Amino acid sequence: MSEIPHQARGAIALDAAACTSCMLCVKECPDWCIHIESHNEEVSEPGARRPRSVAVLDSFTIDWGLCMYCGICVEVCPFDALHWVPEHDYPAPDAQGLRHGIARLEEFGPS
Amino acid sequence: MPTRGTGDYAAGMAREQRVYAVVSHPEVRVHVRDLGLACCAVEFASAIGRGLLVPAEPSTSGAAVLVVSGTVTDALAPEVIAAWEALPEPKAAVSFGACSNSGGPYWDSYSVTKGVDRVIPVSTYVPGCPPRPEALVDALVALVVPA
Ligand code: SF4
Ligand code: SF4
Ligand code: SF4
Repeated sequence: MSEIPHQARGAIALDAAACTSCMLCVKECPDWCIHIESHNEEVSEPGARRPRSVAVLDSFTIDWGLCMYCGICVEVCPFDALHWVPEHDYPAPDAQGLRHGIARLEEFGPS
Repeated sequence: MPTRGTGDYAAGMAREQRVYAVVSHPEVRVHVRDLGLACCAVEFASAIGRGLLVPAEPSTSGAAVLVVSGTVTDALAPEVIAAWEALPEPKAAVSFGACSNSGGPYWDSYSVTKGVDRVIPVSTYVPGCPPRPEALVDALVALVVPA
């Protein structure tokens, strides 16, 4: 097999720990491929005047069946939680199989 | 010009079954009918142009694979069905690229079929807009050689 260029837009990997559930990628995706669910938790720190509200990511799904690999989500993420990887070999036996959640998107790993 | 909606155009395009050897898997022969409808079809040509697939002698065994690459419109859907029905058994269909997977960038368009699986059964969905030619080869090999 010929070598895949390292900068190839094969898939987008997620670093879930870096994601703040800010929803910018969801809103900017021209194709509406990204679905995020999150909830807010209150964190009280000793001595703080009031508890902080922290978003916790519950699910993050990219539908590769729709994605046009434009990279807008990667560009807009203020927290570098999304990045390109050259991995291209992930066909699915059914259309649902092209919806990848957090675990699968993290598996793509750092390039 | 082909007559719209009669099934002649795509069936004619797909009538020609080509046999390729997969260079990365020399033992594999794929019998392919290429139904190229939009830009993704260029990547099929690229798989041949770059020598990932090379023309070969037909082998006696093996299913025929219909590769649908590109945007299926409701106007063209009867042609796709005709191309599928023109294939002899055993057969399988590969949906190559976002457009044929789901409508892709045009999923909300009035005229675009929201996935070729609305009109024919699909065995493998290859993601990409367009997918790489390597992804076509990988999908064909996975289909022909059981894991
Ligand atoms: S690459 Fe483009 S189409 Fe794909 S998820 Fe990101 S913004 Fe959406
Ligand atoms: S833009 Fe980045 S931080 Fe915000 S929700 Fe998307 S991946 Fe998470
Ligand atoms: S998936 Fe993208 S590259 Fe393929 S036919 Fe549709 S628009 Fe063109």
